[in-house]
Amino acid sequence: MNIEQLVLTVLTYGCLYGVMTVSLNLQYARGGMINFGTVAYFAAGAYAYAIFTQEPPSGLDQYAFGFNAPWWIGVLAAGVASLLFAIITGWPTLRLRGEYLALTTFAFAEVFHSFLLNERRIGNGSVGLSNVNRPDFSVIGLEDKYAFATAAVVLLLLTALLCRRVLASPYGRAIDAIRDDEIAAETVGKDIKRMRFQVFVLSSVPIGFAGALYAMITTLVSPNLFTAEVTFFVWIALVLGGEHTIKGVVLGTIALVTFEEVVRSFHFETVRAAEIAASVEHIMTGAIFIMILRWQPFDRIKKKRAAA
Amino acid sequence: MTDDILVVDKLTKRFGGLKAVGGDSGLSFKVKRGTLVGLIGPNGAGKSTTFNLISGVLPPSSGSVSLNGKDLSKIKTSDIASHGLGRTFQTPRAFPSLTVLENVMVGADSPGERLMPVLSGAWRGTEAALKDKATEVLAKVGLEGRLNETVSNLSGGELRMLEVARQLVRDPEILLLDEPTAGVDPSLQGKLSSILVDLHKEGRTLIVVEHNLHFLLRIADAVIVLQNGELLAQGTPHEIKNDQRVIAAYLGDEYAA
Repeated sequence: MNIEQLVLTVLTYGCLYGVMTVSLNLQYARGGMINFGTVAYFAAGAYAYAIFTQEPPSGLDQYAFGFNAPWWIGVLAAGVASLLFAIITGWPTLRLRGEYLALTTFAFAEVFHSFLLNERRIGNGSVGLSNVNRPDFSVIGLEDKYAFATAAVVLLLLTALLCRRVLASPYGRAIDAIRDDEIAAETVGKDIKRMRFQVFVLSSVPIGFAGALYAMITTLVSPNLFTAEVTFFVWIALVLGGEHTIKGVVLGTIALVTFEEVVRSFHFETVRAAEIAASVEHIMTGAIFIMILRWQPFDRIKKKRAAA
Repeated sequence: MTDDILVVDKLTKRFGGLKAVGGDSGLSFKVKRGTLVGLIGPNGAGKSTTFNLISGVLPPSSGSVSLNGKDLSKIKTSDIASHGLGRTFQTPRAFPSLTVLENVMVGADSPGERLMPVLSGAWRGTEAALKDKATEVLAKVGLEGRLNETVSNLSGGELRMLEVARQLVRDPEILLLDEPTAGVDPSLQGKLSSILVDLHKEGRTLIVVEHNLHFLLRIADAVIVLQNGELLAQGTPHEIKNDQRVIAAYLGDEYAA
């Protein structure tokens, strides 16, 4: 086991997924909106980055767009793509609550996945877009792996700061009030539709940036990287971290990524052993998830603190 | 500006085939500025539904409600509060994740509830004044010692006081109170009564739904009586006390002269 590689991977992917859990925390734990389509905003960002930074199509290329833009334009495009996708999906679902919103956002994400899989002109269909451009970190004298880990940490910190700024303000107080009781909040002048929509859209933008970073790291965007599994991973991390607090959800995500990476970093002698390890990893993640839902340890800690 | 602050005109509400408010011809009444009006009627008379229609919680089937000459049916529910109308609920509604103080602070329109001032941090200067105002209204309703408690620690009566405080921080011109004394012990009832009288003296218009007629008729300037969603009677407390239709509606035909 290479400890340095493990730490870097955990830091990079932990922070990358952490951006999604912190955003989801704003949407769900504070805004009361269940978004089961998180992966779609991530994919929108990744694809937008790839499309904007790749070269225009030539020869046998089946994709239709490539703008050969610098990496920072690609990152901006990723944020805008995620924002636009949030506007498109958020507007018609504003009136939906609870499981209805969960199902609709899940459906939106599946439609988007199917679109990416079948529409070759945008993302090259099931093959995806490979050799995605990376920024040249040599100008700052940093190896790619350190640069990406740093970028992921910075992105997570910025997302956490943004969320904290929003939640620690009267805006956050109003969001809490709306989640607690919409009718009472409305009768004291809170525009529920506006605020819910803003939270939904605002929290999607960092997910788009995370998508861009993911595309840079993997240098590949393809539909099979953006399945519902990503959404559920983020949700498990959110529950694992105990919802509500930014620190909690970040720790939950880092813990889950660490667990998965530790299992993956073991050297297995046979393919069968690796398969068993992968299955055990999934079973254990599921078991932890169920245990937390069953015994709700974070709620108990919170109640004990409140009582003290 | 006319003398009537609130005009309810041919208002009806139907739930499926059920005529909850207004019957066939619609419910109409006017409320004079600065008066304390009692809205009474037997259970199921449509009092709370009328409040829901006035405050925009429910859309009317037909008819209109005007506040200071402005048709409220054309205004978003959240904007009705900004036009100076506040209300409380039959079952007190609090925000359990917020403290008592925050429950009141959230009642006000803070610049920090807009995204741009939040992102720029421009709201910070306004928070101290809002906190002072919220503390002041909480003292007015007798909750000054409970500022940082969660609302789950409050009794039913205290929750009603909290609702009143949450509206007072908005400084409403007209306040609709739905059964403010229900579940409130006698000592708090006295406090509530004096709060209502003070609000009335400040020149606010109050409409109070109340089953405690002894309490209401003592403080009201005018009383509106509903039965089966329709206007049964309207007049001064004295007139209503002696109205045979009202006596029959409340006590049965055998008590009416």
